Amino acid sequence: MSTAAALSNPVSSAWRRIPGAWRQPLTLIGLVVVAAWLVVAALSPWIAPYDPLAQSPHLYQAPSSAHLLGTDELGRDVFSRVLWGARISIPLAMLLVVLAFLIGGTLGGLAGYLGGWVEELVMRGADFVFAVPTILLAMAVVAALGPGLFHAVLAVVLVSWPGHARVVRGLVRTIMQSEYVAVGRLLGSPTYRALAVDVLPNIAGPVSVLAALETGNAILLLSALSFLGLGARPPDPEWGSMVSTGAQHFEAWWIGVFPGIAIVSIVLAFNFLGDSLRDAFDPKTIIKARGA
Amino acid sequence: MTALLSVNDLHVWLDTARGPLAIVDGVSFDVAAGQVFGLAGESGSGKTITALALLGLLPAGARTGGSATMAGRDLLAMTSSARRRTRGREIAMVFQDPTSSLHPMLTIERQLTEHLRYQLGLSAKDAHRRAVALLTDVRIPDPEAAMRGYPHQFSGGMRQRIQIAIGLACEPRLLVADEPTTALDVTVQAGILRLLHRLCQEKHLAVILITHDLGVLSSLADTVTVMYAGRVAESGPTAQVMGHARHPYTRGLVDALPHPEAADRALVPIAGDPAGPESRPSGCAFHPRCRYAKPSCRIAVPPLVRVDDGREMACPVDPLVASMAR
Amino acid sequence: MFLCLGVSVMAFVLTTLVPGDPALANLGDRASSDPQAVRLYREHFGLDKPVPVQYVVYLNNLLHGDLGESEQSRRAVRIDLAEYIPATAELAVSSMVLSILLGVTLGVVAALRRNRLTDQIIRVVSLGGMSTPQFWLALVALYVFFFKLNWVPGSGRLDAIVLPPPHLTGLYTIDALAAGQFDVFFNSLQHLILPACVLAAFNMGLFTRFTRSAVLEVLENDYVRTARAKGLPELTVVFRHVLRAASPPIVTVVGLAFGNVMTGTVLVENIFAWPGIGQYSYRSATGLDLTAIVGVMLFVAIVYILVNMVVDILYAVIDPRVGLA
Repeated sequence: MSTAAALSNPVSSAWRRIPGAWRQPLTLIGLVVVAAWLVVAALSPWIAPYDPLAQSPHLYQAPSSAHLLGTDELGRDVFSRVLWGARISIPLAMLLVVLAFLIGGTLGGLAGYLGGWVEELVMRGADFVFAVPTILLAMAVVAALGPGLFHAVLAVVLVSWPGHARVVRGLVRTIMQSEYVAVGRLLGSPTYRALAVDVLPNIAGPVSVLAALETGNAILLLSALSFLGLGARPPDPEWGSMVSTGAQHFEAWWIGVFPGIAIVSIVLAFNFLGDSLRDAFDPKTIIKARGA
Repeated sequence: MTALLSVNDLHVWLDTARGPLAIVDGVSFDVAAGQVFGLAGESGSGKTITALALLGLLPAGARTGGSATMAGRDLLAMTSSARRRTRGREIAMVFQDPTSSLHPMLTIERQLTEHLRYQLGLSAKDAHRRAVALLTDVRIPDPEAAMRGYPHQFSGGMRQRIQIAIGLACEPRLLVADEPTTALDVTVQAGILRLLHRLCQEKHLAVILITHDLGVLSSLADTVTVMYAGRVAESGPTAQVMGHARHPYTRGLVDALPHPEAADRALVPIAGDPAGPESRPSGCAFHPRCRYAKPSCRIAVPPLVRVDDGREMACPVDPLVASMAR
Repeated sequence: MFLCLGVSVMAFVLTTLVPGDPALANLGDRASSDPQAVRLYREHFGLDKPVPVQYVVYLNNLLHGDLGESEQSRRAVRIDLAEYIPATAELAVSSMVLSILLGVTLGVVAALRRNRLTDQIIRVVSLGGMSTPQFWLALVALYVFFFKLNWVPGSGRLDAIVLPPPHLTGLYTIDALAAGQFDVFFNSLQHLILPACVLAAFNMGLFTRFTRSAVLEVLENDYVRTARAKGLPELTVVFRHVLRAASPPIVTVVGLAFGNVMTGTVLVENIFAWPGIGQYSYRSATGLDLTAIVGVMLFVAIVYILVNMVVDILYAVIDPRVGLA
């Protein structure tokens, strides 16, 4: 193996492989759906035909041309509420993932970079959070702090940061041990430079995979908490609490079914994205491409 | 002597993004029972693919042409299920790295007896006895205990012997050994070669020995066919081909060997890198590296011609002139 | 054991840190009008003693098998747990069986048909299972199969008029079979099937993904080629050689998933009115029933410890290169 090959950055070569991954139909579908929902979330005040909070005397209307997805128990238009729901769930989920990554990623990065007792402490904390079942922990946190979307977000961040920490720590360790960085050190690059130039860009790939998958999970968890009444409160058009309402009015199935479909569509799209990105960054596929 | 296996104009194409790639390009040879047939060449020469083609283990996207006739049947024309039944039963293969070729989680007994029971329908007891006899044959000490063991508990040489035992379990008529000693220590290699020789004689086996190591060839192979870039360069009885090489490539290979008597003389390698299937030059594949190359060598693929009794070679450069210029 | 201790300490500390007074939470309106009741409540549950003392008392009781008394149910937590755990276990085990059978099979098929249409379809299905919110799936399933088609009953473990079988394991299906009560068996099966399927959806997707990647890795190995060179039929090669070599990572994820299923059934139990640990933990968490919460956390810790042990043992059985520590 020539020196150049040995020193070639294992993760940056994955960037070159992305074009192939994007060409897969599922990835494209995922991308399109996510983009569509983002547009909806941004433009829902202008797209939605009705005010999501506006009650009307037309209760429990089945889907019709006037109300595309029907009306709920207070006469509100389900379609508009679903569109507005995107405005709640999606930005919150993304914020959540960013927070979890900032906290978890920093802790994990420090753990990997510094090692020693820092690593021990961080990992033990992560293990503890992993040990407790997600729902229970989130429930407990919200129960302690009181219901409300903000507390729910905090709860989910608390539950999610260890995942990011573990991934970042593993990545940092791998890169630290690679010849690439060793040579950089030998050549005398100062540490912070090494961090910025060598470590950070290489983390970007796998972290984006995690981010995509985690956003989907965040949406699921947030809606679950809202379903239990621990997250969003009525009359907010949050998807989870809408499903909960739907459970109480079984006959009017459209109240609960459509918000759920919205959840499935966006989480699935994020999962498609994350899955394809993961294939692109899989070290095994990278090695095969190199050694063929 | 009648040939057990007769390969005629074998072609193997691999479907790639840029169209079909000829990995093996018109190879013919005969293998006789009780003889060791050597298939020599560097990496990229197509020798392993030739063997895989005989066994029907080519990767997906590979196509074959020509014929490989054994006991009156063309292997390449058989249905895949008929083909599968010949594997292990009539033709067996032993691979290069015994460590990765043995399943790490199955007992030696299981790996020895599973195809015995499937192909020959033996009962568990009979298969067990047969397996112990096989292990004894390949000189594994304490075969009964070995049966209960796992591959990671054995040394490299032992694992190769076990692989050979697995290959011979159903008493095939042809054994293909792909670089059987390359992954082993030099001290262990001789033992494996002796084992193969003995088995070949005792069981009247036909053995195809694939290797790039000329030393292994000269000590074990009765006849040898030298391949380069998917084609046959030269073939004949080993002693003659190695001792009086006629094809410039073979000559280059032999010359490149270090001689103990000439230890102070510089090594004479063949210039350039071996041609792979993607980068095969036009005409004679060897011409860019050949010291006797003529302009015509670039244009036409030299045919394989008979030069002596049992010897063939594919080089238009007059052999007498070539040997005199040496 | 150390982990248990650690968990109990953590749990205890957390519950004491929790803002909110359990007495107030549980007594509700009475608390504001009747200070006497609050005081009695506190005394009864030892909440008036300093925290470290509370903990010592708790540990002492723990060593005697006494997990304390639940504030909400007024029974020993131990008894509570003993009643609710088997219900969840029945649900967890049946859903795991479903998800393993389906997931591993689909994963193997997807790996063998890599990148072809079958693989893509399986990918959509498996990711779909992982993307569907459990609570919604449960409701949709109930709507279709109970509300509209009436193929299965809607809630609980048995019809109201059916008596549970004599107690053997607490799992109604097994106990009914053991006692030869086939009608009870069928009834409990009817109640079990829908929640088990809903619970299995996520894990089915998860196992499919994991099995697929584990099998793909193994397929590249030389010993698979050796197995084919022996002339073995492809099914044997796949199931005896490939799957066996691929099982360690699959076992790991199954173990993790089992732990998650045993402890994460809140939503499903809520919707199907299944009287299990999920419901119990939800009530305890929202009611700030401290002893019960700690009891549940101990249960969780024990489940994970047991699962880890079983996974380690399975590793040693599957892979002879691994020694039992």
